[in-house]
Amino acid sequence: MTLTSSTDPALDAGLTQAPPSRSAGRTARRVLARVAGAVVVLWGAATVAFLAQVALPGDRATIIFNTRAGQPIERTAEELAAVNAQYGLQHPVLVQYLDYLRGLLHGDLGRSYQQYRPVTQILGEQVGSTIVLTLTAIALAWVVMVVWVTLTAGRGPRTSGLGAALDTVTAALPHYWLGILLLLLFAQRLGWFPVISDGGPVGLVLPALTLAVPLAGFMGQATRTEFERALEQPFVVSARMRGQGDLGVRLRHVLRHSALPAVTLSGWALGATISGVVVVESVFTRRGIGSVLVTAVNSQDLPIVTGVVVLVAALYVVANLVVDLVHHLLDPRLKAS
Amino acid sequence: MPSRPPRTPSDGRPRPGRRPRRTPRALAATAALTVLLAGCAGSGGRAVQPAADAKPLTGGTIVYGHQQEPACVFGGWIEQAYLSTQVLDDLTSLDTDGRAVPWLAQSWQTSADGLTWTFDLKRGVEFTDGTPLTAAAVAYNVDYWMNGGNSTAQVWLGGYYESATALDDHTLQLHLSRPYPRLDVTLAQGYFGIQSQHALETRSAQENCEAPIGSGAFTVDHWDRGQEIVLLKNPDYTSWPANSQHAGPAYVDRIDWRFVSNPTTRVASLRAGETDAIYDVPAVDYAAVGADGFQELKHVTKGRPQQLSFNTVAGPFTDESVRKAFAYSLDRRKLVETIGQGVIPYEGNGAVSRSTPGYSQAAADTYDHDLPKAIALLEAAGWDAVDEEGYRTKDGKRLTVRLPYNSGTIIDADGAAILQGVQQEARAAGFEVDLIPVPPSGFFGGAYSKPAERDIAAGYWTSVTAGILYVNWRQNLEATPNYSNAAFYNDPVLEDLILQANSTADVDAQNALYGRAQEYIADHALSIGLFDRLSTLAVSPRLKGVWQENAQGGPVFHDAHFVD
Amino acid sequence: MTTTTSAPALPRFRTRAARPWGLHVALLLTAWFAVSALWPGLLAPGDPLELHLDSALAAPGPHHLLGTDEAGRDLYSRIVHGTAPALAIGFGASLVSLALALLLGGLAALAARPVASVVDRVVEVLFSFPSLLLALLLVALLGQSALTEAVAVGVGTAPGYARMIRGQILATKSSPYVEAAVTLGHSRTRILRQHVLPNAVRPLVAVFALSVGQSIVWASSLSFLGLGVAPPSSEWGALLDAGRLYLTHAWWLTIVPGLVIVVLALTATTLGKHLQASLERNDR
Repeated sequence: MTLTSSTDPALDAGLTQAPPSRSAGRTARRVLARVAGAVVVLWGAATVAFLAQVALPGDRATIIFNTRAGQPIERTAEELAAVNAQYGLQHPVLVQYLDYLRGLLHGDLGRSYQQYRPVTQILGEQVGSTIVLTLTAIALAWVVMVVWVTLTAGRGPRTSGLGAALDTVTAALPHYWLGILLLLLFAQRLGWFPVISDGGPVGLVLPALTLAVPLAGFMGQATRTEFERALEQPFVVSARMRGQGDLGVRLRHVLRHSALPAVTLSGWALGATISGVVVVESVFTRRGIGSVLVTAVNSQDLPIVTGVVVLVAALYVVANLVVDLVHHLLDPRLKAS
Repeated sequence: MPSRPPRTPSDGRPRPGRRPRRTPRALAATAALTVLLAGCAGSGGRAVQPAADAKPLTGGTIVYGHQQEPACVFGGWIEQAYLSTQVLDDLTSLDTDGRAVPWLAQSWQTSADGLTWTFDLKRGVEFTDGTPLTAAAVAYNVDYWMNGGNSTAQVWLGGYYESATALDDHTLQLHLSRPYPRLDVTLAQGYFGIQSQHALETRSAQENCEAPIGSGAFTVDHWDRGQEIVLLKNPDYTSWPANSQHAGPAYVDRIDWRFVSNPTTRVASLRAGETDAIYDVPAVDYAAVGADGFQELKHVTKGRPQQLSFNTVAGPFTDESVRKAFAYSLDRRKLVETIGQGVIPYEGNGAVSRSTPGYSQAAADTYDHDLPKAIALLEAAGWDAVDEEGYRTKDGKRLTVRLPYNSGTIIDADGAAILQGVQQEARAAGFEVDLIPVPPSGFFGGAYSKPAERDIAAGYWTSVTAGILYVNWRQNLEATPNYSNAAFYNDPVLEDLILQANSTADVDAQNALYGRAQEYIADHALSIGLFDRLSTLAVSPRLKGVWQENAQGGPVFHDAHFVD
Repeated sequence: MTTTTSAPALPRFRTRAARPWGLHVALLLTAWFAVSALWPGLLAPGDPLELHLDSALAAPGPHHLLGTDEAGRDLYSRIVHGTAPALAIGFGASLVSLALALLLGGLAALAARPVASVVDRVVEVLFSFPSLLLALLLVALLGQSALTEAVAVGVGTAPGYARMIRGQILATKSSPYVEAAVTLGHSRTRILRQHVLPNAVRPLVAVFALSVGQSIVWASSLSFLGLGVAPPSSEWGALLDAGRLYLTHAWWLTIVPGLVIVVLALTATTLGKHLQASLERNDR
């Protein structure tokens, strides 16, 4: 929802891209640097998450105990000692930190305070649903954006203006509001979709749409500018002179040329859409790491919060590596060199 | 799932003719908004009634929409009790008259001095891991609770329980240090569910948290966190309680116990046929859901109602007349009845709810809305100046009181709105109520648990007897701490009344003593009531035989069956 | 980590002189919001928290322009009086965000190498957390309050701006006129002060306007999740969340505050874009 172009990290990134290296050795070094960078990001994410746990106000053992009992009261020392021992909370912070990092290397994100289960297992059950939702939303956003931009961009002031205005409006729609509108109208009143979004494809429609519409508007803003610029390029004129139809020119030449910023955005969007997912999963009562996260923040089940942070950072890293690749394939300047 | 309703166009959709049909073009975004807004007065979904000669079915899956998801199936919270009663059996069950009837115990008796309870257990009962129910296993369970296995069981029996012994395979003795004549009904709460000793001893804490092994009508198949718990019928069930509607295992094969935290979504899912039963119908929907043909069940939980306890050791409420002034400043009845839509009952008694045995109407009627009296009391207490914002002051200090409340779990949305009303009404007398919503994390982390941190504590605590007074008002002493004493009120007179009542065998005499304790609490304005806590269910007409257990109003699905 | 996303720049918007009406509407709305925030009594004289128990959940009509909530409080009054807290959070969050972003982005672009690359990494790490996730972490840390909400949203959105500022400074540093200044032998500080910083900071005026709108949307998302400002505050997100319970009976309690948030976000975006466009025109 808060997809203003101003926070857009990468809009014109393609233009400032460093020229690719030619030798295989350099490529290998570059890949290695990437991976090292990714590891640093993950380590940083883990550290931030761990520090957050330690900095939380209140006694962790008390929180664990009271949430389990459902009574907000003080606890005796003996009651707390047992909980402390169970989670290693009696150790110095540095030891806890090293234990945490060591666990992380083995894919162990710790144990939930409330569910007694490994966090990896809990998130493993949920992440699939979230990824399906996110990818569907991004794909949907692409379809909506491409259709809308191709149909409206550079078609005289009125049509283009309408197109651009709609981009702006949809990009500004908060997920919770759009979600509630869609839920109220299409699930509650018309009954076309289930109120509770379960695993099925029908239940996926409204949540994905809620995420896709603002994202499409956001990507549309970026693409439209490029699209209209590309329409005036010599190669478009020459394609038209060769007798290609307008739609053909738009789809075959202009779109490919102007889609770069949006491609870059998609990698970023995968991470950013997680923010939306938290809200959307809440609106549509859908399973996923967003709803797990909100529950965990509420009950201060920190190992889960930590786990989500690390997981999302990992997703972000992977997504951007993939985007890099796609970018490489698409960008004519990179190809030429 | 043969018994799930097919989604026919007549099912769960707005009825045609309720609002004008629009042209296809109305699907354009703006027009859709108009439709949406114009059509929102009522939200469709009238229940399709089964035919009069519909036959009961066996099998099928009940999809049940519940509000809150606990951390474990078994534990010391009402949300856990709801679940554990599906899976675990108690020694006793509560009937509609508040008497204990046989469940795992087929009979029981008390010794003449009231200190020894002897339970005769049902024969041939097996836990779902194949181990037999024995007196030794039950004794193990009791010690397990008292050693921290269930914190709520612990506060109930603490100070009374001494030991449990198995006389033989089927005879269990509980030894008490003081008589507790209502032990049999107390044990009917979900906190006292009996688990397989073998499972407790050999399985991990995680396994026993997620899928405790009992002898109940259902077993936990799996828990999909954040989504649902799937319960499967126990086909070998033999130990139904005496107040069960049928003998034999459950009719349905499976329960999908879904967690749907948003109340509006829960109601909409029932109307759309996505759920067969839901918990906690919001007050605003209650009348319409019933009128549309869904069966509604309502249970006023016994025990402490939603109430306000005053801090008696620090801050302005150490002065009894300031507490009274606060009580007089509020039109609690009007507030509750408006926001509660006439569904949530007003409760004047701060000690126990109207459904609790021994309830005192006199205690409930102690304070009416009387603004002049509130102001007079405050002026007499020295709060005689009024500052520019209309708040009272004393020695230049404003009459500010802090009211933290746990938003989302202990106080629901209706409750929060009522507290906001309290804030507004108390303002008329010159109180500045600092309403502090505290998320569960902060609350359970011990925020606002100390006298210096709050002036009013809001909350409820369900029980089956007025014995809850012992939990909430027992003195908090160094040697025997009681952090559940929310008013921080240490008074040997009150404690003595409660202890006497707890150990009085004769019901009328006991109730009289409990009544005096409630009046004592009211007279000293230690706590004032707001509203009674409800457990409500709404059930599709295709699902029959759902009832609410009488301890806490949780759903009982053992007798439930679909009709077609 | 990934070079494609590490060198952001301000997006360019087509300046459309043909759409002054959008600007006019935005300016009118800005005036309305300003009056609502500063003198709410002028637009809504009543007490926004006053209970009218006899007209609870009344639909919009002549007595209550936008209807009432479950305790009969007037929604129109609450929205007008909720402008100040909503805007305060938006401005507060934007200040926090941009201050933090200037610091981090500036260091990353201008500091000596080891410092710059460390800061660069820190920003990269923070950027890998979605804004809401970062904000949720902070809410869990600091507890629920308006101040937390502003700080959380500010910190949550800061990494994006930090990257933007860094890119802006780097771009300016390598621009022809800075290169010219270097050739002319101007001192480093002089170049920084006269060319790089003004050019890097000037667009922030526009970004600030955009940021206020977005911050309000983020903050209301937190409120919506029950983790922001709680009722009875009339902050719009809190209103919307409280209204959700009555969605099927009193749509206005949810739809109207949401609409107000959208309108405000659009107003801020429109203003920001026009500011940006006029700044770019001045640049040329």
